Amino acid sequence: MADETRKPLLDRAAALVAGPLLLGREALGLVFRPDREAPPETPPEAVPLRIPITPPEHAIKRRG
Amino acid sequence: MKLDAATSAGDIPEALIEPALTVGVVTPGSLDDQVLAFPEMKPPKQWYLGLAVTLTALLIGVGCIGYVFVTGIGAWGNTSPVFWAFDIINFVFWVGIGHAGTLISAILFLFRKRWRNAIARFAEAMTIFAVICAVIFPLIHVGRPWLAYWLFPYPNQRALWTNFRSPLLWDVFAVNTYFSVSLMFWYLGLIPDIASMRDRTTSKIRKVLYTVLAMGWRGAASHWQHYEKAYLLLAGLATGLVLSVHSVVSFDFATSVVPGWHMTIFPPYFVAGAIFAGFAMVVMVLVVVRETMQLKNLITMRHLDVMNKVILAMSCIMGYSYMMEGFTAWYSMNEYLHHGFMNIISGTYGWAGWVTISCNILIPQILWFKKARASYFWMILVAIGVTIGMWFERFVIIVISLHQDYLPSAWRIYKPTMIDFGVLLGTFGIFFTLVLLFARVLPVIATTEVKAILPGAQPSHHGDDHHA
Amino acid sequence: MKTRLPEHGPLETPRFWRTLEERIETPEAQRAAHDEFLPGTIPAGPDYDDVHGLPPQSGVSRRDFLGLVSAAAALAATVACDRKGQGTVVPYTKRPVEVIPGVANYYASATHEGRRVYPVLVKTREGRPIHLTGNDEHPGVKGKTSPRVMADVLRLYDPDRLRAPKAQGHVASWADAEAQFHGALRGAKAAGKPVLLISGAVVSPSRKALLADLKTALPTLEHLAYEPAAGDAAEVAALASFGQAVDLQPRLDKAKVILSLGADFLNGEDPEAQAAWGAKRRLKNAQEAINRLWVLEGPLTLTGTNADQRVPVSPSRLGAVAFALAKELAAKGVALPTGTDLSGMSAGAPADIPAAVWSSLVKDLRAAGRNAVVLCGAQMPAEAHQAAHLLNAMLGSEAVALRAAEPLATVKDLEAAAQKMASGAYAAVLFWDVNPAYTYPKAAAWKEAVTKVPFRAWIGQVEDETSAQCQLLLPENHWLESWGDYATPGAAVLQQPAIGALYDTRQGEDILLGVLKAMGATVPDGYHAYLQARWKKELPFGTSFEQALHDGLVKGETKTSAPVFKGASVAAAAKKAVAAKADGLELVLFPGFATHDGRHANNSWLQETPDPITKMTWDNPVAVSVQDAKALGLEEGDWVTLALDGATLKLPAVIQPGQAPGVLALALGYGRTTGGVAKGMGVNAFPLVGLDPASAHARGGAKLAKAGGRKELSRTQSHHRMEGRDLVRSLTMDEFAHNPQGHHHMPELVTLYEDQKFPDHKWGMVIDLAACTGCSACMVACQSENNVATVGPEQVARGREMHWIRIDRYYEGELENPKVVHQPMLCQHCDNAPCENVCPVNATNHSPEGLNQMAYNRCVGTRYCANNCPYKVRRFNFLEYTAYKTEPETLAYNPEVTVRPRGVMEKCSFCVQRINDVKIRAKGDGRAILDGEITTACMAGCPSDAIVFGDLKDPKSKVSQLVAASRAYRVLEELGVKPAITYLADLKNPAMPMASTEGGHHEA
Repeated sequence: MADETRKPLLDRAAALVAGPLLLGREALGLVFRPDREAPPETPPEAVPLRIPITPPEHAIKRRG
Repeated sequence: MKLDAATSAGDIPEALIEPALTVGVVTPGSLDDQVLAFPEMKPPKQWYLGLAVTLTALLIGVGCIGYVFVTGIGAWGNTSPVFWAFDIINFVFWVGIGHAGTLISAILFLFRKRWRNAIARFAEAMTIFAVICAVIFPLIHVGRPWLAYWLFPYPNQRALWTNFRSPLLWDVFAVNTYFSVSLMFWYLGLIPDIASMRDRTTSKIRKVLYTVLAMGWRGAASHWQHYEKAYLLLAGLATGLVLSVHSVVSFDFATSVVPGWHMTIFPPYFVAGAIFAGFAMVVMVLVVVRETMQLKNLITMRHLDVMNKVILAMSCIMGYSYMMEGFTAWYSMNEYLHHGFMNIISGTYGWAGWVTISCNILIPQILWFKKARASYFWMILVAIGVTIGMWFERFVIIVISLHQDYLPSAWRIYKPTMIDFGVLLGTFGIFFTLVLLFARVLPVIATTEVKAILPGAQPSHHGDDHHA
Repeated sequence: MKTRLPEHGPLETPRFWRTLEERIETPEAQRAAHDEFLPGTIPAGPDYDDVHGLPPQSGVSRRDFLGLVSAAAALAATVACDRKGQGTVVPYTKRPVEVIPGVANYYASATHEGRRVYPVLVKTREGRPIHLTGNDEHPGVKGKTSPRVMADVLRLYDPDRLRAPKAQGHVASWADAEAQFHGALRGAKAAGKPVLLISGAVVSPSRKALLADLKTALPTLEHLAYEPAAGDAAEVAALASFGQAVDLQPRLDKAKVILSLGADFLNGEDPEAQAAWGAKRRLKNAQEAINRLWVLEGPLTLTGTNADQRVPVSPSRLGAVAFALAKELAAKGVALPTGTDLSGMSAGAPADIPAAVWSSLVKDLRAAGRNAVVLCGAQMPAEAHQAAHLLNAMLGSEAVALRAAEPLATVKDLEAAAQKMASGAYAAVLFWDVNPAYTYPKAAAWKEAVTKVPFRAWIGQVEDETSAQCQLLLPENHWLESWGDYATPGAAVLQQPAIGALYDTRQGEDILLGVLKAMGATVPDGYHAYLQARWKKELPFGTSFEQALHDGLVKGETKTSAPVFKGASVAAAAKKAVAAKADGLELVLFPGFATHDGRHANNSWLQETPDPITKMTWDNPVAVSVQDAKALGLEEGDWVTLALDGATLKLPAVIQPGQAPGVLALALGYGRTTGGVAKGMGVNAFPLVGLDPASAHARGGAKLAKAGGRKELSRTQSHHRMEGRDLVRSLTMDEFAHNPQGHHHMPELVTLYEDQKFPDHKWGMVIDLAACTGCSACMVACQSENNVATVGPEQVARGREMHWIRIDRYYEGELENPKVVHQPMLCQHCDNAPCENVCPVNATNHSPEGLNQMAYNRCVGTRYCANNCPYKVRRFNFLEYTAYKTEPETLAYNPEVTVRPRGVMEKCSFCVQRINDVKIRAKGDGRAILDGEITTACMAGCPSDAIVFGDLKDPKSKVSQLVAASRAYRVLEELGVKPAITYLADLKNPAMPMASTEGGHHEA
């Protein structure tokens, strides 16, 4: 399990600064749209955030 | 001075006559003009230069501490088995430096050593600054400094309590008490002087500031009565602290099982060492102060002579302690202790052991000579030596004892990093920055106390013909 | 294989609809659905379906503005409140039948390393395999396995694993990859051109059958089974001595006298040998029978450190010494096998061995007869192996089992293959789980040759030196995701997956089945079916396949005729052995303890497990004998250049006590150029491997020179002497019989305080140093069980490794041939723990069951406890070692053990989670805890059963009885800390008075 509880101090500070900054940029981007005719890029391949875990097929467990 | 000696010659033997504590003609008025005028004047260029240097050091220290905060204790050289190194060395070192101030202001006050009056203020200020430098370390040296407040036994909903068996907790109390009492003591002494400055100043801002700080002091007889009582009480309190603080700090080591730490001699040995280091620092700073601030008439060569004698006495006590460590190692027939002692004089860090012994025991012996005690060169040399030596003494105690304890498989050489040195430099920066600011903002000499020791200030049986 | 991305419904057709018109998608209905809010009230709204499109209107609408404001507030709040922020906790929406949250599942499975098969039991939590132990049902391994196998669970979660096929460097689908692959093979078949397949050792009967099927379908297939670290000399010798490849398994339970010719059978690789060794050494009293281990070897091996009598002999001389021994025994009346001719040998003791030792050894072997065994190290020259085979045949040794085995390819075969590839004969080459571009001695020539093959495919897990030359990369399952079977003495073993494939990977056999199918053969659908079909035919009556999977094996001895020793092979070998003489320094190249042949180099647990002898991590310095180091003026860590046959390596040197003069030792498996963990760690020693298989790994003519400068060694122990302290007690059998406590005068320990009371249990441990070989399996077991972090070589060099249990290794006596002792050191759980009273925040304290507990959450990290720990077993998180980890690395964590952040102290907990697990289960059953029911990870992992854990309050428990043994003592007992761990003194059974330890045998 990815443990975000102890994200290092720097990361947190960076997030604190970068969050509003990025959001602000996004907002500005909405207002001052550079070129609205740009064709939408092909969306990047969806990478699952977490690796799905499946039980083994046909295996017989010992105990549990 | 001559006048004083001549008048008393007939009554008591010359040897017992206390020489005058000031040089030349000093009157209460001239004293005020000399001392209280400083904060009003524009600081000289040299002062700014000094401040630039110390501030640089301070900023380097702050940067290094910030780096440690972000990355962790691993930024330092600390490792297994040397889990404590520069952090605790610096802590003990700075707590020790602080001791001279309290000793001068409290113990010498109770012993009615009147020569202390002229230097007590500066020494006390140095105590405060040194303890500030010291308390940084318990805070930053823990692995999770943002939780350092857990060291205080405060009521909390988690129903967690501190461990009162731990010497580290005793440290928390000892250092806190020491700092608060020292601060109160210092501030109390400052009140009459601040009131004088309030009355002298022409600047509006300063007026407001000093008015607040002087707490309504008017110099009334009732004020003086309360003041004297409080001062005496605090002196009594602080006296106990001089002995207790460093004893408690030494318990960090003495109550552990680490060979080289587990020694009953530690409390007195630590207190003596602290006074030793503190006086060396005071001598160093006062020489500069009396030269640069034209205070030669108030901080006299006699002051320096007496302090050098204290340094010499403490050096002898240190020598005795070192010998006792060796004796204990031999007499106990304890292989671990024996190995630990041999490490001090011959191991990987044997050089540190010899630096300690040379700086703390050998070099100060020059002070047996009166000429050396009166020579800037020698006293500064000794003072610097003692400062270095006492830092290395803590290095010897902490690093050498830890790096080879019980199981040889766990032994390891410790190497400090640049961050370690940066933090050490930073504390010197903090200390001297505060010293420089103090010298420009507050009266560096307790004028009210010095007035009390000016010729004729005290009633005496031959006081009548004093000015005759 | 199905992909595991979340399945979306078809995007064109809405899955939910409000009106029938909308469902059948009339334009009107769509417009109506879009303009849900009355047209005109707001400007034409943004097209929310187009994620990349933006609102067509100019300026920001009120809705957008409010949306942004609330989003900003939400984001700010989220960021600011991160302190207690948890990772996403999502319950199972569809719980898999097998998985119950919080309950561990166990699967029996198996793996192999070279020819050695390891039946294992896999512990899974929430579907994730997290810990491996040996299969307790297996008659050979009896629940034990090797350190490398235990650590192999981490490889499952290696972030460097290839997650989908790659063709020409680009990610491809399996369909495309297979089309390419099958096309190439069909082309080769049609053209009648040979196809080369290089794989690892084939020890699985089903895999063997599959390869045979493949050979039938693709007659031009050539197969090489290549194990670069198995020891080519052993193959050569087996072919000479028996006419066939053999697998040799020591049966130490039957051995009274063991002679090792550089054999390292106690290094943890062979759980069966370790178990037998432990059983022979865990003596209750001096009257019990003990074995005797003679070791003649060049480098100091772990087996050598456990020797009762050790003589440093350079590898080139081993053959001659062993043949001389055969001659001497023959002269003493031991019959030689028919056809044996030793006339070329001169009689008498060889110069390498002191006469007294020689006569004692001869006497010992002769007396033991069938209960004596001679074992030869895989890296030793072929003559030494042949001599060992001869000696075993002469003695009629029962303590070694020989079985016919599948032959392995040697460097010579690889050389031939390289030449054939270079000539352009092959149409295709397939590498399966092998890395010859790294392991073949002449790597550059090999790579050059490979590129001459038109089609190159690779099956493996992590892209490596070999995959770099291949067009088609087929990602393979980890063995914990795969099916398989093995034939072992005593049982047929089954391998089953313990987790579904994490990525879009397939197991190698499935890929080959695909090939078979493409070639037109009729084969079952998938390797599971293939395996099942084969097994159903061969299962004994009354055993179901399911039962076999449940147990992981079917017991039963397979009848094979033992290979017969050919006496005629001796004369030539003996002649060669007598003539063997190394010019210059002799170099022994042995498989790295952590990396083996490099396949484990990307495993940080193993990289950080110190080599049991040198205590080096993350690196392979060349070990130089004390004498040679003195002659060359070398000091520990000095950079040296090692030159042999045109190959020159620059690497650091360590001085190895006990190593024969003139001998150098260097571990293989380091210096990889790929892999996030492996890359750049140590140097690659394979270029020094010889092309003569008879002595590929023991080579003469090496040159060593100082290169200037020194490397800071990432070593976990830097002081190697006990300094006369009473830490590891070692007794000879004589001392054991008469004075087991030695001259250790223990001061009476008085205390002013009341003893602590333990109302229910008092957990304690006994470690038998006589059984402990120092193999470090406990370290890996603990690392896996307790989420012990790895810190990397720089941090280890500074002393910041995190192992909760370590093995202290000390040398005693003269450095040329010291006595070596090992001591597992872990938290002693002292009753009067010095760490506890110094913690200002009470983060470490004593449980009413005698555990020294650590509350990580409460720890602020003053490190005072570690200073005050006399055993220095506390570990501090000097830096952030864990928080940066993400999936898949974090999947290897044991959820029952807190992962520690920076600034926190940690240490052995006596596996408190396992104690509590058993306590809860016993309570549920309404019964008392049984003795031996609780096992700590180190105890369960210890292959020689040196560690016993249990309740000291129960006088009948095993641990209570052992505490009272005559060999029992506690380390640093004089401090009065009352440790809960008792050590039993090491035992040595020397044949003669131990002269070598006089200088170092200390009595405190």
